Amino acid sequence: MAKNDAISERGKQDVIITRIFDAPRELVWKAWTDPKHFKRWWGPKDFTSPYCKIDFRVGGKYLNCMRSPEGKDYWSTGIYKEIIPLERITYTDSFSDAEGNVVSATHYGMSADFPLVTLVTVTFEDYGGKTKMTLSHVDLPAGEMSEQTGAGWNESFDKLAESLK
Amino acid sequence: MRRDVFQAIADPNRRTIIGLLANQKLTVNAVAEHFPISRPAVSKHIKILIECGLVVVHRQGRERYCEARLEKLNEVSDWVEQYQKLWEQRFDRLDEYLKELQKKEKKHGEK
Repeated sequence: MAKNDAISERGKQDVIITRIFDAPRELVWKAWTDPKHFKRWWGPKDFTSPYCKIDFRVGGKYLNCMRSPEGKDYWSTGIYKEIIPLERITYTDSFSDAEGNVVSATHYGMSADFPLVTLVTVTFEDYGGKTKMTLSHVDLPAGEMSEQTGAGWNESFDKLAESLK
Repeated sequence: MRRDVFQAIADPNRRTIIGLLANQKLTVNAVAEHFPISRPAVSKHIKILIECGLVVVHRQGRERYCEARLEKLNEVSDWVEQYQKLWEQRFDRLDEYLKELQKKEKKHGEK
């Protein structure tokens, strides 16, 4: 079985990051949920975020743009799935065009092996005056797709599930 | 239908099949013996694994042997690695931004 374990280890497909931020939890929460703040850090180093729209409620959508130093725009969109104020946000994440239509990673010249829809969960905890933030970014298990559309996800997500068939 | 490595490992039976084949080449029958599910069901999983590029089948005499192509699994870590880097960079900026924000708040507070 040792080899099987090695396989599951190699096949591990989650991004898990924990960071401590020297700021109160309310402020870190704001940085994620208020477009004004969100735009200030969403792009990685040397990127800017020229556009950010957040409909911050369960079932609400967001649409963000990161602009590379060369001026190339990368849009992403998704739907908020779970919101527990100051504790947890779960949302789906996909590449999109500027209108918020989901596109494959190949649209941006990336590998077709990028999953079309991924799931991001961010949790916030007090940590002695600081904030411990944990991010998990996982591929949406294939079986969950239909369950979630059945749970009242909006029609754009139904379309997405359709396109995955 | 998606046919990539993510699809291949999305199913626990397929993960087990990959595990079995990681140790040795096996015939479809030999693979099927390890499962309570029907042989056609096992065949279907193997077919998906072939389509995903994780398994190849060789004919030896009358038998068909399945062999795992484990290098394909490395593709899984590719997008994970890229996202990992992206998030780390974002959080570096978030860290800076939070410090900046608090400095400003302090200044305003002093006024």
